[in-house]
Amino acid sequence: MRFDFVEPVVFAVLAFGVIGAGAAVVLLNRVTASALLMALSFLCMAGMFVLLGAETIAAFQVLIYVGAITVLIIFGVQFTKQGGDRSYALFFQKQYPLAAALVAAVAIPVVLFAFSFNAPAPQPGGGDIRPLATSVFTDFAFAFEVASVLLLAAMVGAIVLTQRDEPEEATRRRR
Amino acid sequence: MPVGPFGLDPLIWGPLRLVIAVALALFLVLNGALLQIYLERKIQAIIQDRLGPYHVGPFGLLQTFADAIKLIAKEDVRARATDPWFFLAAPALVFCPMLASWVVLPFAQDIVGADIDIGLLYLTTLGSMTVLGIVIAGWASNNKYALVGGLRSAGQLISYEIPQILALVSVALVVGSLSMVDITRSQPGPLVNVLVLPLSFVIYFIAALAETNRTPFDLPEAESELVAGWLTEYSGMRWGTMLALSEYGNVTVVSSIVTTLWFGGWQGPGVDALPLLGVLWFTLKVYGVIVVMMWIRATLPRLRIDQLMTFCWLGLIPLALLNILVVAVLALAFPDTKIPIAIASWLLLLAFIAGIPFVQRRRLASLRARASASAVRAAS
Repeated sequence: MRFDFVEPVVFAVLAFGVIGAGAAVVLLNRVTASALLMALSFLCMAGMFVLLGAETIAAFQVLIYVGAITVLIIFGVQFTKQGGDRSYALFFQKQYPLAAALVAAVAIPVVLFAFSFNAPAPQPGGGDIRPLATSVFTDFAFAFEVASVLLLAAMVGAIVLTQRDEPEEATRRRR
Repeated sequence: MPVGPFGLDPLIWGPLRLVIAVALALFLVLNGALLQIYLERKIQAIIQDRLGPYHVGPFGLLQTFADAIKLIAKEDVRARATDPWFFLAAPALVFCPMLASWVVLPFAQDIVGADIDIGLLYLTTLGSMTVLGIVIAGWASNNKYALVGGLRSAGQLISYEIPQILALVSVALVVGSLSMVDITRSQPGPLVNVLVLPLSFVIYFIAALAETNRTPFDLPEAESELVAGWLTEYSGMRWGTMLALSEYGNVTVVSSIVTTLWFGGWQGPGVDALPLLGVLWFTLKVYGVIVVMMWIRATLPRLRIDQLMTFCWLGLIPLALLNILVVAVLALAFPDTKIPIAIASWLLLLAFIAGIPFVQRRRLASLRARASASAVRAAS
């Protein structure tokens, strides 16, 4: 028994998920639904990574984008007014021809570029965590460290910005 | 013909193991929840000098089954002001990641759904997805208590994820693998990881209590403050899926991770002769951890939200980072033996426990000084 037919089917489902959810994020009128569908799009994208043999990237995709960033966005959305008369999808509702032309102008070169790739040989089993770790900590060690310092600076900055004033200082400022 | 485990052709064994693992997971999630609710009631009753459930069935064993049937038979209530789609989607969003976690848990030798080599990362990833369901549930309920519960939960889960993952890192450093099967295999003898890395075990256990919303970290559903937190608007089987199945399922997943990482998983006496004995050892160890969690629930009061956050960000995270530093240096310096790591880890743990009173005293003193200063200002 061969299971070769499974992979294209899974790919089709995931591709439909990515594109459908992505389109819905842009076209839907409700912010919360958009945020949640964005999470679905990220999840399908993680499935794509798994199909390509990059399980670690898939895991990080879910961990960071679904587990952290979407929650942050939903946090923000919860404090905005819901169901108002303002439309969040102005562009696509009012100017279909312009939007279609713009999308085509971007999509056609991308598709042509994508078709120019040859299918790479599938990776032998054994997972991708070791190659990934080796390349991150040897070939790209400098870039990795620079990114780490940048993130650390951003984190310290966020903490300083959100820190509540000491009561003495607050009263001094009030005077 | 190649021969896989149990003398079966690998081509048959591959799909069969997935079927076994999924069936086992469903069976254990559904029955485990009933058993754990019963255990929870009985253990709390014993500790609080009560009888607990004893009317339905022998020793009240059928009480939780009766409760489950009641939940299924209940009317499906949905308030009109709730958000129709998200209100229905939230229980699934909470339940599905929990169920998916069971795929990588090794119940015994070769009884594991999938031995993926990033098993540990996979489990943390799925654990982080629960937050989404809880926040959505709190928001979609259109209820102040539910919203506050959901937001508290998001803050708590995102914060405690950090020490949880950092504690796992030290185990990965010592074992050198993220696969749950390899981690189990690396502790064959009496020197299980809890003796080598007691500090990371303690950090993980505390963070796991917070991640599963167990007392003393059950603020998201604090019934005396928030009615039922993010579960306020839910009833019937939707409530049952969210609370009974997902929460107790998560408790089991976390206990299984503790068992696999620190207590040698399915390994125990007689496993080499009879591999299926591993299921028994694994279950016994998991339920040992669960009983400790219930014991803690019956013993400790609930924390305040600021205490919860302070403890995580100023206590657990620096400690976990220090732990990683020490373990990494010692693992590089002594690649052949685990003894130096064990000594250092026990010393750190002792310092942590001994240091708590000092830190508490200093914090109390500073709080008192601030309070008296503001009193003086108010008087003047």
